[in-house]
Amino acid sequence: MKAKNDILQGTLVLLVLRSLASRGKMHGYAITNHIQQVSSDLLRVEEGSLYPALHRMTQDGWLRAEWGKTEKNREARFYSITAEGRRQLEREEASWARLQSGVRKVLRYT
Amino acid sequence: MNRLLNLFRRTKVSREISREMDFHISERTEQLIAQGIPREHAERRARRQFGAYALHKEDAWMTNLIGWIESLAADVRYALRGFAKSPAFAAAAILSLALGIGANTAIFSLIDAVELRSLPVQHPEQLQILRTGKETISFSNPVWEQVRDHQDMFSGAMAFGYSHFNIAPGGESRYVDADWVSGSYFSTLGVGAAVGRTISAGDDRRGCAGTAVLSYSWWQKEYGADRRVVGRTISVEGHPFEIIGVSQAGFSGVTVGRSPAFFVPICSETIVRGAAGSGLDRRSWSWLRIFGRMKAGMDIAQVKARLAVFSPQVFEATIPQNSKVEQQDDYRKRVLNSDPAPGGAAALNEQMTQALWILMAAVGLVLLIACANVANLMLARAAGRAREMAVRMALGAGRARLIRQTLTESFLLATASAALGLVIAQWGARLLTAMISTQSNAVWLDVAPNPRMLAFTTAVATATGVLFGLLPAWRSSRVAPIAAMKAQGRGVTSSGSRAHLAKALVAAQVALSMVLVAGAALMLETFRNLATVDPGFHAEGVLLVNADLRRASFSKERQAEVWRELLTRVRVLPGVRAASAAVLTPVGHTFWNDIVKIEDQPLRPGEEAVVDFNAISEGYFETLGTPLVAGRDFTAADKEGAPKVAIVNQAMARHFFGKASPLGRIYRTEEGNGFSAPVTIVGVVGDAKYASLRDEVSAAVYVPFGQQESVAFPNFQIHGASPVVLIPEIKEAFAQVSPEISIQFVPFTLQLSDSLTRERLLATLSGFFGGLALSLAGLGLYGVLSYNVERRRNEIGVRMALGALQSRVLAMILREASWLVFIGLGLGLAGTLAATQLVAAFLYGVRPDDPPALGTAAVVLAGVAAIAAYLPARRAAGVDPMTALRDE
Repeated sequence: MKAKNDILQGTLVLLVLRSLASRGKMHGYAITNHIQQVSSDLLRVEEGSLYPALHRMTQDGWLRAEWGKTEKNREARFYSITAEGRRQLEREEASWARLQSGVRKVLRYT
Repeated sequence: MNRLLNLFRRTKVSREISREMDFHISERTEQLIAQGIPREHAERRARRQFGAYALHKEDAWMTNLIGWIESLAADVRYALRGFAKSPAFAAAAILSLALGIGANTAIFSLIDAVELRSLPVQHPEQLQILRTGKETISFSNPVWEQVRDHQDMFSGAMAFGYSHFNIAPGGESRYVDADWVSGSYFSTLGVGAAVGRTISAGDDRRGCAGTAVLSYSWWQKEYGADRRVVGRTISVEGHPFEIIGVSQAGFSGVTVGRSPAFFVPICSETIVRGAAGSGLDRRSWSWLRIFGRMKAGMDIAQVKARLAVFSPQVFEATIPQNSKVEQQDDYRKRVLNSDPAPGGAAALNEQMTQALWILMAAVGLVLLIACANVANLMLARAAGRAREMAVRMALGAGRARLIRQTLTESFLLATASAALGLVIAQWGARLLTAMISTQSNAVWLDVAPNPRMLAFTTAVATATGVLFGLLPAWRSSRVAPIAAMKAQGRGVTSSGSRAHLAKALVAAQVALSMVLVAGAALMLETFRNLATVDPGFHAEGVLLVNADLRRASFSKERQAEVWRELLTRVRVLPGVRAASAAVLTPVGHTFWNDIVKIEDQPLRPGEEAVVDFNAISEGYFETLGTPLVAGRDFTAADKEGAPKVAIVNQAMARHFFGKASPLGRIYRTEEGNGFSAPVTIVGVVGDAKYASLRDEVSAAVYVPFGQQESVAFPNFQIHGASPVVLIPEIKEAFAQVSPEISIQFVPFTLQLSDSLTRERLLATLSGFFGGLALSLAGLGLYGVLSYNVERRRNEIGVRMALGALQSRVLAMILREASWLVFIGLGLGLAGTLAATQLVAAFLYGVRPDDPPALGTAAVVLAGVAAIAAYLPARRAAGVDPMTALRDE
């Protein structure tokens, strides 16, 4: 359990936006599963903080949310990315790249 | 309206979220069941994975609190790890702060004990102390009896007076402090007995037998807490007093700083002083202090009003009949007043208390300097961690979060320092109490930690934590992540503002140190002046022997012979060069003034000729080395019945007779409404200090000891090579005359140095704190310059590679330092001039703006600064260009 990395604060937004951008409409549970599978179990979304984050992003206009039915015919809230969300995704990706290169440089410096 | 909407929206949101979460958990549970986990386990695990949020989704603030505490714990762990990694930093910071906090707490605990603490009695806030006029708080026994019998504004009133009793049955005296107390003393205070009973109204009636209540602490010390002590007797000036009880634990009278061994009723004064010497009916003898306890529901204004109405009756009934008519009129007009006295009466004089406040200010400055040092250390440390901060920021840590991290470190440092400071304070407070305590005036202060002292330390530690922590915290959180990354951790903080901040802190340290060092210079100069002032006599090799002849119950005639017999016996002891007897010894803080009228010389208008008096035997001036300027010394023939004669000092001769000779002139002293018999001046002596070394010598008259009415307390002055070794032989000589004579030995030099207690305290401690400030400021400067040199290694290397000489580099760093020091000294000088004005009253022989003292302070500071700057400057000059450049 411990070995799995909790997702760093600040990168959650990036990962959610990216997942929705590539997979389209998903509910929260599906988003966690998706991130976990795609990262080969390296990353784990902290479930307690996912839903408040999804609501914040919806309020910021990056996501659209609607209640719908799953394949098993259960009520769930589905999220999809908006145009504004896509622009935010670009910004987040650029910022992540910068951070990554920065961290890499720091790590290389001895 | 908006709020309501918001609230509504929030509940809607949380309802939606909770629906989503329920869905999530049930999905997860099904998945887990599909993996083969039993249902109940699966559900619990799904919920657990959701974390604290799911369990406490209703009260989100609880989650926040838990999160906050968890992250705080992380901060603390992180900070501790950091300290462990740089123990030198932690030790330097904690030690300098602990010294500062410890010194503050130590001095506060004394001020607390002297000024702030309430008496350990019932409802101390109801206690009032009576006074008349501005500051007269002593009253005669007749006044007390009037108040006792007729007052109706207090629920209880009591009186007490100070005494000093010889409790040895004979031979060398053993003096202890004791208080005269009224029968209402213990009941008014609400203080009970630990053993036996306390003094009550029945014990305090005229003609009473001697009874005594021991104080708890003395009972423990003297009697080993033996409960069978009740019923035994104690010798009070040779009279047996019955011990009737022990007062309750923790109570040691109502005078802070004084610890009476026992209490005796006021009426027993007649037993000790004899019916003839008794002060119980003396209307001009003020020796009692009066306390009242306010009635419930009455306020101070009401009490004062009632006292004002009550006053005429009290004073009309107690007019001193022998005093002059004008004085009687003044006396009648006196008005009783009262002040709250929850802390009791103060034993330390006002000036000693002021000295403590001065020291409090000084240690406050020391603490500020220490804070500046630690702030600088933290800044340098923060610079070293700029990369780490940048990474954390980039990873999403908020600025507030980073500030909190740094503040956590500050508070950990402050807490550790406060703990160590308390230990230092305990030790320091005891040392201070010992320093203000003298042989003749023992000071007992309870300086054990109490809640107020702990609160003070906590407040000081918190304030220091904020003071030295906030600035670096705010600075370090302003690192721009990208800049920090780019610079790869080097030169990040070379952005000028950090350096400026550090320099400003150092300049401030120099300025504060200047104030302290200059203050110390003035105090040291004052002490030196007083210690080396020519008092007009020599104290070396002089032993003072204070004798009390009353116990031996000589007849009046015999008493007049005994002192001379003692003197004759002492004079023939081998090793004694000269010996004399006197009523007062100089600088013993006792006075005897009289108003004189010179015959054939009218007073200038408005002049009242008050002069100092002493009665001395022949040989007094020889023994003390005061020169006889004109006329003759007294002889054994100047005794009772012979013509009245006197010797005056030069100040007296100058004041009344100008250039003319005072020899043969006649004066009289005022006695009640008339004048004494004429006295002829037969000699003139050099000026000598009278009651204190500080006072200018004023007019003084010496009269023959043999012409004194009462000679029950002769003080002998014995001059020899080393008179202290004579003590056994002197004792022997006195015992041969009568074993009942009580004697006490004091080297004259000790009496002089005891009189300088306050000055010594101020000089020693201000010197110590000045030195501390100096070393802290030096360290601060050294630290900042060292850091700057380290930071500029590359630049210096380049300069040297391009041909800059070592001397140029050295000069460059020193120039940087001298700017700081000059600005600091300038500011410090301005501060010093303002601050030293406040202590002008404490100085002697030196002005508050004394240029040599201030100059010395500036030079000493500059010297320390030069050393502190030279070391890093030399390191800079020693930079090897190749190494520095290779690092690039």
